[in-house]
Amino acid sequence: MQDTTQSDPNQQASTTPITGGEPRYKNILVIEDEHFIGELYMRALTKAGYNVKIIIDGPSGLKEAQTNAYDIILLDLMIPNMTGMELLKKLRDPNSTPNLKSKIIITTNLEQADEAKDEIEKQADGYIVKAEVTPKQLVRFLQSLER
Amino acid sequence: MDYFQKLTKQVATFLGITQFVATALAIAGVLIAAYVYSLPLYIVALIGLAISSAVAYLSGRLASTYVTEPVLFLWKAILHVSPSSHGASAPDLDKSRVGKELVTSLALQVYQLASSETPTPQSARHTAAAEHNRTDAIMQNFPLPVFVMDKKQNIVYANTAALHYIDQPKQDVINHNMYSVLDLSFPSDHTFDAWLTDSRDNKATASESWERVRLMLGDQKTKKQFDMAAYYNKDNPENAETIITFFDKTVRYNKDDDAVSFIALAVHELRTPLTVLRGYIEVFEEELEGKLDPELEGFMHKMQSSAQQLTAFVSNILNVARVEENQLFLQLHEENWEKILRSILNDMALRAQVHDKTIEFSIQPDLPTVALDRVSIYEVVGNLIDNAIKYSDKSSQIIVKSYLRDDGMVETTVQDFGIGVPSSIIGNLFEKFYRNHRSRAQVGGTGLGLYLSKAIVNAHGGQIWVQSKEGEGSTFGFTLAPYAQLADELKTTDNKDIRRTAHGWIKNHSFYQR
Repeated sequence: MQDTTQSDPNQQASTTPITGGEPRYKNILVIEDEHFIGELYMRALTKAGYNVKIIIDGPSGLKEAQTNAYDIILLDLMIPNMTGMELLKKLRDPNSTPNLKSKIIITTNLEQADEAKDEIEKQADGYIVKAEVTPKQLVRFLQSLER
Repeated sequence: MDYFQKLTKQVATFLGITQFVATALAIAGVLIAAYVYSLPLYIVALIGLAISSAVAYLSGRLASTYVTEPVLFLWKAILHVSPSSHGASAPDLDKSRVGKELVTSLALQVYQLASSETPTPQSARHTAAAEHNRTDAIMQNFPLPVFVMDKKQNIVYANTAALHYIDQPKQDVINHNMYSVLDLSFPSDHTFDAWLTDSRDNKATASESWERVRLMLGDQKTKKQFDMAAYYNKDNPENAETIITFFDKTVRYNKDDDAVSFIALAVHELRTPLTVLRGYIEVFEEELEGKLDPELEGFMHKMQSSAQQLTAFVSNILNVARVEENQLFLQLHEENWEKILRSILNDMALRAQVHDKTIEFSIQPDLPTVALDRVSIYEVVGNLIDNAIKYSDKSSQIIVKSYLRDDGMVETTVQDFGIGVPSSIIGNLFEKFYRNHRSRAQVGGTGLGLYLSKAIVNAHGGQIWVQSKEGEGSTFGFTLAPYAQLADELKTTDNKDIRRTAHGWIKNHSFYQR
């Protein structure tokens, strides 16, 4: 039992600098149909030095992802015209998407039954409950992927 | 034996009389031929020979019928009870003339043997075959699925209901290993396979039942849920080592699952606006920090912490529903506890601050790594600190400590100096919906937090406890196992992570070992 540190409530805001340092994974595709969330992610990620593109529906999201121009794909599971799960499977299937270099991070507010969650964990590189992380915390999470 | 001597005497008398009669007839014939008709001697000899031949033939016939009569009666008696000659009538023992007592006695013994439980070998085979047909007919029409496995756990029998239930043709089931046919999951680590292993080691026969077993069908989409019963017999002569049957509860158990999915959906709908609120508040904070007067800045922090608290509560609801339905599912990873605890406390600091509380913490350096599910433990610490904030009353200090106990467990405590818990209700604190009654008017809350925290800590293999004195405050503590302590559990799986058994669905293990 040693140093009793008084925690500083403002520490949270000041500890990790968001900007500064060029991110290695620069290009991000956000597949997200909720406009407000898209706007918030766009703002926070752009500020942190990322190039961001937002797509709001499944089929066009898949098409865009298959251009292989992105380092990171943030994929919502509830998107129009195609479930995020289907999209994820297509991206991981070498026949439909050969040599995908992107890391795929699931961003969702819908928590799945066990079997579905297992499936996701096997195929995705990360899983985030959107309500649990603010846009800034999301940026920090993405920065942690570079380590 | 007396009866037999009597039979011998009867036969001797009969043979004596016929012999005498035959000899007398032959002598009479010879005398008549010689003296009455004065026939030449060789004719007389021929006549004597002919008469004695005829009489010998007749007496032979008579004697044989007479002497073999007991055999005939016994033969009829045996035929009558033999299953291979249906309809042979029973001999009328009253008509027996020779050795009546012996025949009657033997026939009755035959009848008795035939009706007793030890049949003669020939009829035994027949009875077994008939029995088998009958059992098969019963099993085929039995309205519950029945599978029978041999010692290698190959399916040697499945009735019609079983094939129908799993929707597989007979040739894909019979002589296939049960683990390739039946994809079973159990709500605890007491799986069918665990039971079978134990029974093989310790029992000659055993039976067991399980509730809420899941079966995934071949299409990987249809899920059946049922209660299951099994019977084990070590040395079954028919090679039927285990018998299992299912009691389908798919509709009922699915309804329970739907209740969880409904909550999952409701949680989704609540989380989306919360995500947006938290996001925009963060933007305001970033853009307005230092530009607002202290009062407004305080308001902003209160908004921020309230949104955060609501988010945590929404997750609590979902997880309580999962605990209730045995669906809370943890993935334990090796983690640096100090790092994780610091980041949780960092998040909680704002919540404490807007309520004018401060969190002081001390974490023992060089704690061993622990096995934990990050998201769930976040909820535990969050709930304990939220409680400390709620029940602190006017005191402002909350102390968090984490250290290694003598028994090797990592213990973490959250202490407040508030209203405390009366000793009369302290035992109920970890029950669902339980709240400190006196404080209900002043303090909000659902009474789910401690209930959920206990479930999560227990699923980690740890313990949660409370010490409290009314008016002086409370200390809540929980333990986590060092990662090394779970190394054994790790060796049994290929996975680097540990899937917790307490609340998840456990696959029937052998399926993976084969």
